[in-house]
Amino acid sequence: MAASSSENDSKNEGPSSREAEQPQVAAIRMPTAEEIRAQEVWNNCAVRSVVSGVMGGGLGFFMGLFLGALDNPIMQDEMTARQQLIYNAKQMGRRSWSSAKAFAIMGLVFSAVECVVEKARAKHDTTNTVIAGCVTGGTISARGGPRAACAGCAGFAAFSVAIEKFFDRHT
Amino acid sequence: MAANNTPAGINKEQAFGMAETEMEYRVELFNRLTQTCFNKCVDKRYKESELNMGENTCIDRCVSKYWQVNGIIGQMLNAGGQPPM
Repeated sequence: MAASSSENDSKNEGPSSREAEQPQVAAIRMPTAEEIRAQEVWNNCAVRSVVSGVMGGGLGFFMGLFLGALDNPIMQDEMTARQQLIYNAKQMGRRSWSSAKAFAIMGLVFSAVECVVEKARAKHDTTNTVIAGCVTGGTISARGGPRAACAGCAGFAAFSVAIEKFFDRHT
Repeated sequence: MAANNTPAGINKEQAFGMAETEMEYRVELFNRLTQTCFNKCVDKRYKESELNMGENTCIDRCVSKYWQVNGIIGQMLNAGGQPPM
């Protein structure tokens, strides 16, 4: 009955403890103060977007490393093996850095827009994903002019909806 | 029904009865509030067990508005003496 701060998890434990009534009745576990604080930290838009940006940067770094290692011209007659290795490494580094930046920006913008839109609408929908994907795609391809921005918006929105449906296919 | 100021000379039984009524009112308010905001804000498909951010925001706003409405109506009932209908 304490209406203090137990709104969040008391509703979550309701259905699951009712289902567990067949084997045994489990007590409703109220969230501890650390859980509430952790949830509030994770619900902060700035924290979420920074974490997404960092994860995107990591993903982009490794992807760039991999792709940079793949397409390197092998110039046997111009350089020695050691020089070639150094050249390869520099190429990989450059490629991975630019890829990491691009993916970090993508992750940051997408997560920030989705968080802000979801907080404003107070609803969990695919509309949030569509809007966030459109803004992200638009900012990435904003350099090519308005038509490229529109195409990027539509493409990235469709891509993010597809990814989200793919990850939610069990439910 | 809000508890009014008790005059002097009220005995223990009456005070106990009033406290009981107040308690029932509080319990009913809490249950009504929880049910209303749960039905309004939480998606019944239960795709995951944690409240996501949209539902969290919705519950915050729902509780705040419910509480404000409750306060306003309580004040109206107290000031008017009888319901203005």
